Amino acid sequence: MSLAISKIDLTDSCAVWRRNSRVYLRLWKTELVAPIIEPIFTFFAFGFGVGALVTSDVEGLSYLSFVGAGVLAFTVLMRTIFEMTYGAYFRMVYQSTYDAILATPVNAESLAFGEIIWAVTKGVVDCLFILPLVVIFGSATSLFTPLSILPLIFGCIYLGGLGLAITAHVYEIDYFNIFFALFFSTLFLCGAWFPIEMLPGWLQIVAFIIPTTSVIDLCRACLTGNFAVKHIYESIYLLIISVLLLEWALRSIRKRMVA
Amino acid sequence: MNFAIEAKNLVKRFADIAAVNDISFIVKHGETFAILGENGAGKSTTMRMIACRSPLTTGELSVEGLNVKNADRRIRSLIGVVPQENNLDPDLNVRENLLVYSRYFRIHKEIAQTRCDELLEFIRLKEKANAKVEQLSGGMKRRLIIARALLHRPKILLLDEPTTGLDPNVRQEIWEKLEELRRTENLTIVLSTHYMDEAEKLAQRLIVMAHGRIVVEGVPHEIIKDKVKKFALEIREADSFNLRQTDKILSQKRGSTHLYFAKLPKI
Ligand SMILES: Nc1ncnc2c1ncn2[C@@H]1O[C@H](COP(=O)(O)OP(=O)(O)OP(=O)(O)O)[C@@H](O)[C@H]1O
Ligand SMILES: [Mg+2]
Repeated sequence: MSLAISKIDLTDSCAVWRRNSRVYLRLWKTELVAPIIEPIFTFFAFGFGVGALVTSDVEGLSYLSFVGAGVLAFTVLMRTIFEMTYGAYFRMVYQSTYDAILATPVNAESLAFGEIIWAVTKGVVDCLFILPLVVIFGSATSLFTPLSILPLIFGCIYLGGLGLAITAHVYEIDYFNIFFALFFSTLFLCGAWFPIEMLPGWLQIVAFIIPTTSVIDLCRACLTGNFAVKHIYESIYLLIISVLLLEWALRSIRKRMVA
Repeated sequence: MNFAIEAKNLVKRFADIAAVNDISFIVKHGETFAILGENGAGKSTTMRMIACRSPLTTGELSVEGLNVKNADRRIRSLIGVVPQENNLDPDLNVRENLLVYSRYFRIHKEIAQTRCDELLEFIRLKEKANAKVEQLSGGMKRRLIIARALLHRPKILLLDEPTTGLDPNVRQEIWEKLEELRRTENLTIVLSTHYMDEAEKLAQRLIVMAHGRIVVEGVPHEIIKDKVKKFALEIREADSFNLRQTDKILSQKRGSTHLYFAKLPKI
């Protein structure tokens, strides 16, 4: 049994990526509103609203510095997950875009990979717009700040893979509600708004299993320059999860589309 | 390689039904081959297997001498597919639909531009090049999909019900284009259809499928001569009458129209 990842043809994936980028460039004005408006208001809400209540330092940082990684990761990851659930579902089911593409030499794996790298790209573009905001709001204090894009890329791969795999199993658009209910529940556990050390022991374990926790922790390390040994483990964990979910996504799309 | 397509004992089973149940046929180079059959007969499933979109349950299938089981990429670069349901990209305009699609075949950008103009000319949609897909009529969409399937100069064109739902003039026009392609480009054409007239007009040979099996095969006008009496009666707006049914005639209701054929076709 061979790995689905080994069947990816990068040139083909790139052609799929370019189809999406072409549509995006046509709609770029509407596409860019969300990543700018959302984080500004999240900063207002959490930085000034919740932040005003938090007078003590959090992990040795002011609350605004602490929450910056959360705002950044939250906005970027949300973008990817929506792109790979509703966005992908629309292309797959309503527009039959996948059908059209699979009538060409492009195979299911390259198609799925092209979609995921597109979702990652969208996340990265958003990131480029949010990072200055993070700096302006005083949440980024380290010279390593630009490196925060790396954990975000892997976060996008893992969530994009997960999203696309789920999409391949969804035959009724309302089923996404279940997935999102679960996904949003986990988002509040991953150390975006408060350190997970505040949670009871068993919940901390749950939190560490959710890969988003690693993404946010690594982002925070880059924004503040406070690196620790645990970040190595988190990077490895994130890498492994990303590859696994990518593989799952490619297999699921083949199963759905080639039957 | 002797034949454009060679299918031996093809079977496709979904959970509880055999959509295609042990069919064998060949398609010769440069001919138009029709698959005729009613809803659910297995036409689309057969075409999807040829297009390497649906793995065979059992049987052998080769396209241009290549086995669908291990040469699918190569095969898909040799065929052009016109699916049953329109799947043009609504996010792109007419011209972009062709240009973006040409990338999947790795057609060089400049060649793609020329090819695109050429095809828009061929399907007479040049003035609509910058129109949105949803602004096209059903017939225009169909023509655009046919153009899209021709971008990479395929050897075989697969058309799944190319003219279903179109008016007689548009059907005629599409038939002429297809016949022109077959004659001038020596294209092999495989099409599925519900209509005997379409098969008769275009195909050199045909098979009739029912419940996943081939029930008749041969040359269209001979089949018609053998199996179908020429006399038919069509009564429009016959809502107020009951449909007459006897053993001697085949009667059928389509909307408010009653159709009577002099004899049951033996299929
Ligand atoms: N993916 C699938 N899963 C389960 N059953 C399927 C699938 N695709 C087709 N079938 C079944 O296989 C049979 C043949 O379907 P097919 O689409 O090939 O018919 P068709 O001749 O193209 O009909 P139509 O004229 O309506 O397009 C039908 O009974 C259909 O319900
Ligand atoms: Mg069909």
